[in-house]
Amino acid sequence: MIRKNFFYNACLPALVGSTLLICQGCSSVSAWERGNLAKETMSINPTPNLNGFRDHIFSSKEASQGGHSGAGGGCGCN
Amino acid sequence: MKKTLILIAVLLSSAVHAAKEGEVLPQCPDAIYGNQDRLDFTAYSGKVVLVDFWATWCPPCKKSMPFLNSLRNELINQGFEIVAINVDENSEEAKHYLARNPVDYPIAFDPNGKCPGIFDVKAMPSSYLVDKSGKIRHVHLGFRDEDQSVLREQISALLAE
Repeated sequence: MIRKNFFYNACLPALVGSTLLICQGCSSVSAWERGNLAKETMSINPTPNLNGFRDHIFSSKEASQGGHSGAGGGCGCN
Repeated sequence: MKKTLILIAVLLSSAVHAAKEGEVLPQCPDAIYGNQDRLDFTAYSGKVVLVDFWATWCPPCKKSMPFLNSLRNELINQGFEIVAINVDENSEEAKHYLARNPVDYPIAFDPNGKCPGIFDVKAMPSSYLVDKSGKIRHVHLGFRDEDQSVLREQISALLAE
């Protein structure tokens, strides 16, 4: 009886609350509502050439590679 | 038990009814033409109609428009018409696009997305080919080059009925 009360009084509200908290981030976007998602600024890498160039410079300046897809080493002046 | 049944009934009643092949074309009074008239499909009864959902952010939609326009102008005398429904949240973007890339077929605007909700549009673009009796006969999702010949054949077959 005590276990049952504990479940209803403590566990169940916590379970429902945490589920609701997680579900806040879940939403389906209909096909016709994807105008904002289709914008270039919403892409994971909106400026691939610029980012590649920056990665190249970063790798060169730090004298190391890794953690991203930086290309090549050297002085970073090319 | 009674409460559960009521809950299930409410949930079922709120389910979206999709427009499918073989069903009668649903009405979309929330879509409005540029001249503020409401979209009324009964105005096209007796015609073969292609209802096309498009948006400016959808490259295949824009790609399909010159083809659809030429097809419509070619077959309009045989009783064919295209009704396009723009679903941009900002209809002005669509109007600017149409000013630069005009088409001859009527275009209604539904920035709130109620009409695609009624049709339960699954992809962009989506087009619904409707026969002379007002029934949806074919549903096309997306637009590829090879769809042109398929659409032409299906429209010709419906016009011949």
